[in-house]
Amino acid sequence: MKCSEIRELFPDLAAGLAAAEPEVNDHLRACVDCAGTLEEFRKTMALLDEWQAPEPSPYFDVRLQARLREEAAKQPSRWMAWMKLSRPALALSLAAIVVVGAAVFRLEEKKIRRSKNGPVAANIVPGTAVGDLQALDTNHDIYSDSDLLDDLQVQEDVNANP
Amino acid sequence: MWKRHKPADPPLTHSKEEAYEATPSSQEPQLSETDGVNSNVSSVALQYGLPAMGVQPKAAAAGAVAGELTDAEVMLRVKAGDDSAFDFLVQKYRRPIINFMYRMAHNTAIAEDLAQEVFLRVYRSRSSYEASAKFTTWLYRIATNLGMNYSRDSRHERPENVMNLDAPDEETGQTPDLADKTPSVEEEIMRRERLRAIRQKVEALPERQKMAVLMHKYQQMDYRQIADVLKLSESATKSLLFRAYETLRTQLKEFV
Repeated sequence: MKCSEIRELFPDLAAGLAAAEPEVNDHLRACVDCAGTLEEFRKTMALLDEWQAPEPSPYFDVRLQARLREEAAKQPSRWMAWMKLSRPALALSLAAIVVVGAAVFRLEEKKIRRSKNGPVAANIVPGTAVGDLQALDTNHDIYSDSDLLDDLQVQEDVNANP
Repeated sequence: MWKRHKPADPPLTHSKEEAYEATPSSQEPQLSETDGVNSNVSSVALQYGLPAMGVQPKAAAAGAVAGELTDAEVMLRVKAGDDSAFDFLVQKYRRPIINFMYRMAHNTAIAEDLAQEVFLRVYRSRSSYEASAKFTTWLYRIATNLGMNYSRDSRHERPENVMNLDAPDEETGQTPDLADKTPSVEEEIMRRERLRAIRQKVEALPERQKMAVLMHKYQQMDYRQIADVLKLSESATKSLLFRAYETLRTQLKEFV
């Protein structure tokens, strides 16, 4: 084993968290540098042991229990919980509504455009009652304008012969 | 108990997943020798009257019975609404987490506040908990993030370490009893000087190195666990720890 490989094991070896494998021991016997460094690591670990943490205060549990009670009391309302649980379903429903709405809107738009531009008499069988009624209905604007023209003509006659 | 307990659940006991726990070898309360995780918290809870502080007698008694629940399984019970299971986890990990936070905050009261925040965050996240990772990895990741944020925010606020033999320790608040515990004033001065140097040198390490040392040296976590918490590879963690200890070895040489 190389020195660099051995040295990466030093933290565990020096802290006593792992035992040295036979090949590591062989290397340490042969390499004075590594053996010296490991010894210094062990001393450093022993020094670090001096940094002790104090005992938790007796009030820690009481304060934590109080905070946990507050937290438990802050539980979300049923509606919020339902929203949280059914979030994917809600998103899917909204998406479906948007898609269907867009499709309906486009269809309606097409219908309107066709009624404006398309030939009125395309589906009308001329001469039948239904055909005549449809023609009257769809050409209502044109007939209205014609009536207006008639009125204008009458007005001209009135002006000419007061 | 602060909420509810499901009596039909199987008994709680110490986790089989904690690789760094001390091996329970006797019937005594099994507090680990260092600051690591208590290996048999349930027995401690029974002996020191923790039921009065929130752990249900039933849950604590259940903990004394041999069972095989991992911490992740206990956390899943918390997720299902069993708050006594959460009490069990708090009792098991409060001391290691307080100690971990203490070595980052350098102040007992702040360490306890931060530890409480860790447990509150765990409790708040219970509904989204997935047992895909070890519970301790998740717990220490939360603790590490909180500790790092605290260290960054308070870097410029900490008072200089001024040594005054008569004053109480600035971190623990304890006044040393020189007459009873120390043979001489000089030795106490030297001890305090060493401690101050240890704190300063560990604090001065780069953030990740510091976290790795605190987890390795004082929580007895292995490379794999530290790597998981820090989101590093195992080999990167090994070299990170080696560099950290190498720095401490050279900088603390005069005290060894």
